[in-house]
Amino acid sequence: MKTERASSALADDALVRAAQAGDLQAFEELVARHRDKIYARAYSMMRNEEDAMDLSQEAWIKGWQRLNQFQGDSSFATWMTRIVINLCLDAIRRQKRQRAESIEEMDEDSGGVERHMPVVTVNPTERLERAELRARIDEAMDKLSPAHRTVLILHEFENMEYKLIAQTMRCSIGTVMSRLFYARRKLAALLADLKPAKPS
Amino acid sequence: MMDWEQQLKLQAYLDDELSAADRRRVEAWLARDSEAVALLAELRRTHMALAVGERDHQLPESREFYWSQIERGIRSAERTPTAPERSSWWAAWRRLVIPLGAMAAVVLAGILTVSQFNPAPGRESEMTLADSDAFTYRDYAGGMTLVWLSYPAESESSLSSLVDTLD
Repeated sequence: MKTERASSALADDALVRAAQAGDLQAFEELVARHRDKIYARAYSMMRNEEDAMDLSQEAWIKGWQRLNQFQGDSSFATWMTRIVINLCLDAIRRQKRQRAESIEEMDEDSGGVERHMPVVTVNPTERLERAELRARIDEAMDKLSPAHRTVLILHEFENMEYKLIAQTMRCSIGTVMSRLFYARRKLAALLADLKPAKPS
Repeated sequence: MMDWEQQLKLQAYLDDELSAADRRRVEAWLARDSEAVALLAELRRTHMALAVGERDHQLPESREFYWSQIERGIRSAERTPTAPERSSWWAAWRRLVIPLGAMAAVVLAGILTVSQFNPAPGRESEMTLADSDAFTYRDYAGGMTLVWLSYPAESESSLSSLVDTLD
């Protein structure tokens, strides 16, 4: 298992080196390998196919242009994911500005409800199959605000620490903590409220 | 009833973001507060549910179409640096015009300065610098100074004729 992982990482590294030397075909192979992950991250943040397509493609173009900045400190996929996350955050900020709001100040005021929400004591997801649980979580994520959803994605799916999330979202660690708390409590309530998912 | 800071501390405990000392304090608090235990359990359940992972969102386009758009974007971005080349004549023009403009401004400033310190309107003066063939003509009324040099220098030509004579 370890050997397989190492060899696939090496193969990516070799492709990256070739792409850094200007080999567009090598870069195309990298896109083919990681496009689903990059698109999925864009979709999970934007909740919109068109935006996810545009932003994920923009991320790949930026990736090509900045390829020489990639030093191999993280995996290539992680590096590309950071690029698409930043592009999505910029897009969310633009959308919020258009609606005369700011991602930095949104939702904190409305979070007071979650502070006093009764604790959900049963586990509504206990007997769910993995696919069904994922579908329910996805449905619940759809109902969160972009700021709450983003902080949850960065922490739970990208495994980022508070400090890195704060840097990425350009806010304080305190804001990250409160957003994460609201997001988790809202998600718990949403999962408890969800009707059984429709059979696929 | 837990205050806001305590709630966040409980979450930081779950996320392993506390110092060792703070962790011990939270654990001691959890041992005596059932409300804190219940909230921590809810936060942990949500965390565990999310650990199952995300729903797969498949790319709605074919690999070829998706790549063709990226490739077009890359090519188009690579063509962008040619834009400054197109305007390079403008950059060259500016490179030429800016020093010339600066020189013109200095000359104009000199003329204005001379006219400001015009000591006697209408007075003209002519001067020949000693041992050189440079003549200076200053027109105070017009605020103008002219310097001319004879070439070849008159002294040089007379010297060369003298040398010719000696030969």
